[in-house]
Amino acid sequence: MANKSVWSDNRFWQRSATWITGFASILLIWLTFDTSAQISMGTDEDIQNGVKKKVPGATVINYRITYEMDAKRGHEVPVIGGKEKFFGRDDWSEEEAAAMLHLGKLGSQAKNCMDCHTLLGNGAYYAPDLTKAWLDPAWGPDGSMQAMTGKSTKEEAIAEFLQHPDQYPTHARMMPNLNITEKEAIGLVAFLKHMSSIDTNGFPRNFGKIKGAINGK
Amino acid sequence: MANNHLTSESKQLATWYLTFAAILFGAQLLFGLVAAIQYIVPGFLYGILDFSIARILHINALVVWMVFAMFGSVYWLLPDETGIETIGIKAGKLVYWIFVAAIVVVVLVYLFIQIGPASDATIWFITEGREYIEAPRWADLGIVVVALTFVANLFLTGIKGKQTGIVTVLMADMIAFAGLYLAGMFFTDNISVDQYWWWWVIHLWVEATWEVFVGAIAAYGLITMIGAHRKVVEMWLWIEVAMLFGSGILGLGHHYFWIGTPEYWWEIGALFSALEPLPLVAMFVHVLYDWGKTQGAQDANGDKNSVITNKPAFTWFVLNAFGNFLGAGIWGFFHTLPQVNLYTHGTQFTSAHGHLAFFGAYATILVGVMYLAVQGKNGIKVMKNTKTSIWAVSMISGGVMGMTVSLTIAGYVQVLVSRAQMGATWAGYFDGQNGLWFTQAMDWRLILGIVTFIGFLLLAKDLLTTGKDPVHER
Amino acid sequence: MFEPFTDMVPSFFGWLNQGPLTLTIFLHTVIILPMFWIYAQEKKRLENEK
Repeated sequence: MANKSVWSDNRFWQRSATWITGFASILLIWLTFDTSAQISMGTDEDIQNGVKKKVPGATVINYRITYEMDAKRGHEVPVIGGKEKFFGRDDWSEEEAAAMLHLGKLGSQAKNCMDCHTLLGNGAYYAPDLTKAWLDPAWGPDGSMQAMTGKSTKEEAIAEFLQHPDQYPTHARMMPNLNITEKEAIGLVAFLKHMSSIDTNGFPRNFGKIKGAINGK
Repeated sequence: MANNHLTSESKQLATWYLTFAAILFGAQLLFGLVAAIQYIVPGFLYGILDFSIARILHINALVVWMVFAMFGSVYWLLPDETGIETIGIKAGKLVYWIFVAAIVVVVLVYLFIQIGPASDATIWFITEGREYIEAPRWADLGIVVVALTFVANLFLTGIKGKQTGIVTVLMADMIAFAGLYLAGMFFTDNISVDQYWWWWVIHLWVEATWEVFVGAIAAYGLITMIGAHRKVVEMWLWIEVAMLFGSGILGLGHHYFWIGTPEYWWEIGALFSALEPLPLVAMFVHVLYDWGKTQGAQDANGDKNSVITNKPAFTWFVLNAFGNFLGAGIWGFFHTLPQVNLYTHGTQFTSAHGHLAFFGAYATILVGVMYLAVQGKNGIKVMKNTKTSIWAVSMISGGVMGMTVSLTIAGYVQVLVSRAQMGATWAGYFDGQNGLWFTQAMDWRLILGIVTFIGFLLLAKDLLTTGKDPVHER
Repeated sequence: MFEPFTDMVPSFFGWLNQGPLTLTIFLHTVIILPMFWIYAQEKKRLENEK
């Protein structure tokens, strides 16, 4: 009689399962170390020296951010340009910027932002994605949202909207008033500007590139 | 308790867990309906129970009822598998009440306090604001205590009693399941790091440890319900563990395409997660194969009766085998490749997949275990389907499938209009949302959501009454 | 012979990512290969048992 096949042997499969699970876990841990080093937040020095980081330091709020096609990588990447005033200043220190970002990130969680919006594409789908919201033409100088709030800069317009979203109905699906204070709103805008500078491997594609989208219907 | 046929304390405790799970299942559906209505009538409960709050309750109730039912399932099968009474059952009962109390407090805080100022206190006491695991930090710590007690009970019992393949798999799986929760318990200003670890909890739960748990429960179900051969079933189980963990652990990479992580995740995530449907196909084949095999063997002996000793539970188990493959496998594969995901990420597509996957992979089998518990508690030898149980399973599965199709259509509109055509801006987003196909899909979603909810009411009625029904063989 | 990094930062995994599928084929291979060894061992064991 032929030998019993290894393929129908429980021990073979148990050992294989153990090996595969263990090794896949080790690979994941290794990859996690590799990735963690790459996605740690950069510093002010990195920005000044033009060192590209996947996640730039908080002082990126002192600079102009654009979203441009990178020929080598084949998709759009955020580009940190020259200085740009943010709430009237372009010399926020590392500590000040970090504190604003901290408050904004805390606020984004305390107000449950991601249970309506998506951040980096993750969250709920009841409201627009905020990954590159800072770069949205609607908030720009010619944008409908900035005009609606009556403010003259993007950051002030967003901050004003966040404090009184129920006064600026943009759609039947209105953002509710979340008791966001002025300080929190400034923090949230810093958080949004910082998020737009994160290198998301080209997500979302073509963001803000299509003209006429605002009244495109 | 009168008319209670359970002699095992572990099984008693299991029925507690399963009962509370069923209640939370109802709550999940109810808040899902609120959120579905808000898509159509945005003013509904505006400023009182906004979409964000309805959705938190919808998805948190989902996660918690499943965790409850999973704990209950393990307490149910432990005495059968190990041959001894579960060790530490008193502690198990104590933490059950702690768990229930904590959940009631968390739900009340979600409902009535909802949000807080941007401060650590909010993170500790109101909400952590991270999808699926919004529970405030104090509750996190509570969950860790509860999970550790559960894992300790499982390990002590598993080590002392008979250690079957199913128990061995569950022991390894449940400790990973509990341990992974720790990855979601810290705060960082870096949202890329935040989401990196957040996915460790979410993905490694639902696409790795929970799936292996389902494999183990399905194995137990096949042995108890149709008398499948343990050696065959356990061999399948080990194959499934190898395939599920082999594809699922590194399949985590498909969440690392766009969150600021390096580009090499495109390849790792795409190709490992592309294999994730394979074990799900295997599970489906395995359940049907074992069913046919045992039935065929019995037929050959001239016995024309069904081998199934619990028809409603087995219905849900078979539905699980297929639903897991369809919802997690097919709907997951649809958008797992980065070329596709670039446009589908963060759209209703994800939501469609989420609905069918959570239902097909988890809700089904856990409802099946609820029927097993009803059978055991009432001392029923062969449990039959009733009209109510058939209506319940048909309406729930039809409703969820219909919601999934609706959301998929809505997702297509978002992908084509908001993403591909309009470039994902605020204006582009609403152009997609106002599209006729999108709004009609949302109407259908609500209608089918109501069908699902009526199905749930029938299910609840059946679970409560079928035990006393004289149609069953005792 | 080798492609320049598509990633921003050089790393071992970035280096393996030379083009379509190189990284993932490598990882799949190192996971599967030892199973041959497990297979051979178990085959021997089954033969000895007989």
